Amino acid sequence: MNRILVVEDDERIRQSMRLALEDEGYRVDDVASGEEAIASFGDGAHELVLIDLMLPGMDGFETCRALRRQSTVPVIMVTARSDTHDVVAGLEAGADDYVTKPFVAKELAARIRALLRRSRPSGDDTATTLVFGDVEIEPDAGVVRRDGTEVHCTRTEFRLLCELATNAGKVLSREQLLERVWGYDYFGDGRLVDVHVRRLRIKVEPDPANPRFILTVRGMGYKLVS
Amino acid sequence: MVDGGAPLKTSTPGSGGTPGTAGRVPRRWRKGSARHKLASRLGLRARVTASFAIGAFALSTVMAGITYFTARQSYLNERSTAVQRQAFVNASLVQNALHSPGTQVNQLLESVDTLPGSRSVLHSQGQWYATSISVGQNAIPTEERTLVLSGTPASQWFTLSGTPELVVGVPLPAVHAAYFEVFSLAELAGTLRTLAYVLAAAALVTTAAGAAVGRWAARRALRPLAGITEAAVAIAGGELDTRVDAGDDSDLRELASAFNRMTTNLQARIEREARFTSDVSHELRSPLTTLSTSIGVLNGHRDELDPRAQRALALLDGDLTRFTRMVDDLLEISRFDAGSAELSLDEVDPVELVRRAVDGTRSPLGDELEATTPRAVPIVEGPGVEGLRIRVDKRRFERIIANLSDNAALYAGGVTRVIVDCEPPAGHPSRPARAIRVIVEDAGPGIAGPDRARLFERFYRGSRSGRRESGEGTGLGLSLVAEHVRLHGGAVWIETAEGGGARFVVELPLVPETSGSEDAL
Repeated sequence: MNRILVVEDDERIRQSMRLALEDEGYRVDDVASGEEAIASFGDGAHELVLIDLMLPGMDGFETCRALRRQSTVPVIMVTARSDTHDVVAGLEAGADDYVTKPFVAKELAARIRALLRRSRPSGDDTATTLVFGDVEIEPDAGVVRRDGTEVHCTRTEFRLLCELATNAGKVLSREQLLERVWGYDYFGDGRLVDVHVRRLRIKVEPDPANPRFILTVRGMGYKLVS
Repeated sequence: MVDGGAPLKTSTPGSGGTPGTAGRVPRRWRKGSARHKLASRLGLRARVTASFAIGAFALSTVMAGITYFTARQSYLNERSTAVQRQAFVNASLVQNALHSPGTQVNQLLESVDTLPGSRSVLHSQGQWYATSISVGQNAIPTEERTLVLSGTPASQWFTLSGTPELVVGVPLPAVHAAYFEVFSLAELAGTLRTLAYVLAAAALVTTAAGAAVGRWAARRALRPLAGITEAAVAIAGGELDTRVDAGDDSDLRELASAFNRMTTNLQARIEREARFTSDVSHELRSPLTTLSTSIGVLNGHRDELDPRAQRALALLDGDLTRFTRMVDDLLEISRFDAGSAELSLDEVDPVELVRRAVDGTRSPLGDELEATTPRAVPIVEGPGVEGLRIRVDKRRFERIIANLSDNAALYAGGVTRVIVDCEPPAGHPSRPARAIRVIVEDAGPGIAGPDRARLFERFYRGSRSGRRESGEGTGLGLSLVAEHVRLHGGAVWIETAEGGGARFVVELPLVPETSGSEDAL
């Protein structure tokens, strides 16, 4: 049974989320603050974390960054604002996905399922090692190495990198990437792709500001060139 | 409206006519007097230019006049002195010659040394002698003649056949004679005429230069005003951050700072209102989250409820969806009002986009509606649309289609078809498509003319207001359609479809002019 950590300061929302997620078959631990979240996450038993952006004290962004420093656990941001600033800042803090309040329980469950699926090493990827520049990807083992040293990627970053690398030289639109990596439909949020690409570049590009491998194709999408 | 600039005092009836209790009449400063009419018809720049030109003209004319008359006077005096001196010298010569007997008067006159252009006339022993045929005794004015013959030397200006002449007469009583010298001033007149021309030309040049300087000065002086005008236009266009650069001109600094203060206040006010709506919407989101999550749980346990409770739950669910939509719409509206709505552009195939958006409009307002909305709406692709790419905000585009579909579903029996066409229509190679039109047709009775524009106003329902059915819309849908379209720099309007239904036409430019955030990287 998957254990999910819910970080939400509103007591009623927390209770209702627990009910809904338990109905979906998850074990839920809930905490009311970022500090508690870090403390209770310590045992590493949680497979996914839901973090509300607006928390008293240590806010959602900071909590997410703190979690990221110790783990690549999948994180979904829960935000009351869908404004560019909050969404992008949340994703840059390391979140894999986000949902906007008020969400429908089914929608949240679908996002969680998609993310948990992603976080298991996938069998459908080609088993051969993918190489570009000084970067090596082992899809089976879920390992990315740069110059021989392992690069820590979240599962979403890893899936995105695999998707780009297996289609090296081909332009992938944001829609395609959203469908393949996040399981979104056509109207998914392209900012998810943009921010994750930015995060990936920081990890694998020699000069993230002037990417050599993961290129933006204006008006079309992204492509990886080796 | 304040008229004629008189202070307006409206005493409220019953307040005892206390002066100063002015009613809330919008004040507006206006030029009242008629004498301002011409001035205000001409622009400030034209007026400054004209003033400079008139000033330069007056000044240069006066200067030219003074120069001309001074020069003329000085020339004439100088010439008159020279001529008189010469005449006296010649007169004494003639007198001496006449003293010696046997002098031939004619030869004498010829031998007299005269200035160029001067002729001598001599009256001796009752006889007249002259060196020129044209200038004889008759040429000399009568009074001059009588005066001199009576024994007084005299000089006089006169005109002889159009040329100014100076005559100097010297009586020679010792020999009973009188000597005259007639001096032509034709040459001097020519010089003066040339001078007059030169001065007139100089005056003209000065006037033109004055006008040019005036124009330049006016433009320079008004340049800050142009800046303020630009700023005002920008603010009217929703760019509330616009401020005027005060510059270092003390006169304009006051205007600029007043303008900036006004804009700041205005912005603060608009932002306060928008923030209020935004805050309310956000505050509502927390309880809504609890509600929607809990109702989700209840829906999961639906089978355990008795039919009456199930029915109640369905009602609750339907209206919660609607309420959520309303909060979302209000938030969206508040973003438009605050001017913080941004485009997130993607380049897409318009037909694909329309198809996805139409497919995505399932159960927008709960299950009940879904039953009444015919599925599989046909999408008609106009000629020339294939291969076109359009840069749009997909989410906003989806909202446009969804809201139009909801509108059709609620009031007009659903969407009958969606047409994607390009504008200008295909077939003119010289006129490539610059926009696409997405036309949503419905099966309703059509929309009356007066309602057509107002339908895009917030909460306006027009003649449809009587209908309040289950799953009614938020009243904001069409106004949001208009806002989304406007943000893309497009247009939306209503026509009548062939079958009598309404046709909502959305025209979006292929590339929006509005600056929007595109590829975030």
